[in-house]
Amino acid sequence: MMRQTWRFITAGFYFQLRMMRGKPDWFLALITAPLSTAVFLTIFLHAERQDLTAYAVLGPALIALWQMSLVTAGELITFERENGTLEALVAAPARFSAVLFGRILAVCGVSLFAFVESWAVGWAVTGRPESINRPVILAATLLLTVLAMAGWAGVMACVFVLARSARTFQNALSYPFFVLGGVIVPEALLPEWLQWPAKLVFLSWSSDLLRASLSASPATNVSLRLLAIAILGVAGYLLAAVLLERTLRRVRQTGSLAHA
Amino acid sequence: MPDVEALREPRRHPRASAIIAASSRVAWADLRTIYTPLTWTVGWLGRIVMQVVFYALIGTLLGDHRTFVFLFVGQAVMACVMEVFMSIASTTWERGAGTLPLLTAAPGSLWPVFVGRSLQWLPSGAATACVALFVVGPFLGVSWSLPTAPLAAAAVLLTGASMYPFALTIAAYALRRPGWRNVLSSVASTVTMLICGVTVPLEFWPTWVHTLANALPITHGLDAVRTLQSVTITGSALPQLGWTALSGIAWFAIAVCAFNVFGAAGRRDGSIGFGD
Repeated sequence: MMRQTWRFITAGFYFQLRMMRGKPDWFLALITAPLSTAVFLTIFLHAERQDLTAYAVLGPALIALWQMSLVTAGELITFERENGTLEALVAAPARFSAVLFGRILAVCGVSLFAFVESWAVGWAVTGRPESINRPVILAATLLLTVLAMAGWAGVMACVFVLARSARTFQNALSYPFFVLGGVIVPEALLPEWLQWPAKLVFLSWSSDLLRASLSASPATNVSLRLLAIAILGVAGYLLAAVLLERTLRRVRQTGSLAHA
Repeated sequence: MPDVEALREPRRHPRASAIIAASSRVAWADLRTIYTPLTWTVGWLGRIVMQVVFYALIGTLLGDHRTFVFLFVGQAVMACVMEVFMSIASTTWERGAGTLPLLTAAPGSLWPVFVGRSLQWLPSGAATACVALFVVGPFLGVSWSLPTAPLAAAAVLLTGASMYPFALTIAAYALRRPGWRNVLSSVASTVTMLICGVTVPLEFWPTWVHTLANALPITHGLDAVRTLQSVTITGSALPQLGWTALSGIAWFAIAVCAFNVFGAAGRRDGSIGFGD
């Protein structure tokens, strides 16, 4: 059973990579990430705050990760519906959720390239590469962040099936979460009434830990913060599983698979 | 033998203004389809306000209220321009709908069709920018005086209107590469944000970047809005507003040429309906 599920996931993963080839829209976030990095870097350089350039390097990469994962991956089901292939995918013997997860994972994996881009732009603009002082923390945070992102992208994929207009959700999904996720301005600097909702966004834990991994100062409560990302990620998977099951049951019952 | 020339219908060339008015009806219909009042307010306006706040918060990180105001005003005006840049995508929708060959074959020119086709973004963009500037701004310490605020609102509208032909020029190119429309729009928007004084003053950049930035109406329009935010004398922003309008007119002429070139090249090599 596990082996079969893994096969479905890898099939979805490779299928998505093939689908993305030669289609610039899938890579929109990766194309704009270097420019966004330059925007944030120039703000900090103009303010003569070279100590904050790490923020400018990590922020656009996290934004690209979020946009590609939640927005693009969330649209996967919509794309299949428009393509007229959603019915066949749902009716196929392979578990739809496993194939979908593999595809979302492919998008999330590709989006990690934004970190390399931003880091390279940071080096080119400031003339010095941003040092990675704690590579283990960086790697662990990135891994957990991508997995958590894939879970929440699954949630969005389900919401998009039933939403009248996916675009509206896409619009509402970006900047409110960049503020709450502390991608540039740490959650601790937000007004107090916003700090609690920010703690419920796994991105706020990720961005803090990623900044800590580049910082020369010692990182505190690392395990606890990694655990927070993991818990919020698992919450995404559980919600995605429940929503997908309910969504598929509902669209099968109402016969609205292609027109929800 | 009947006189063939007499039987032929006289060629009628509709006036550009009539074509713009007709195609703008499609624009308003598109806007009504894309947004309901609720989705515009919650989905779009909410997103734009959060974008403006997101950038302005960097001022908080830097511990400098002046930077906060600078980024807030810059992003609010940029929000209008960003929406105007959506015309790059909506121009290519005609290609997707299969109507481009018909529009090219029609007796009227192609450019008025596209000038009217994407007008919907302008009032929507100006409205979101004005809500950010004049409704959200005062709550966050971005204050306005009564005589300058209405002129600042007009400056936002003028900036959007002057950037519209710039967006149409890019759109004329995007018609050849419709698959790249979103990339072109996003890259144009981010480069504009980078060099036109939206996030850092123009003086930050070397002189050759100033020349590029000064060719874009937003550089002057945004400067006018910033002036109006910091002073109480309305006349102080008039030179910048003049430059905004002038550069907008120049871009309008370039956009007309770009659509004419696109139409002529497409007729010549038969590529109107067969881009990537």
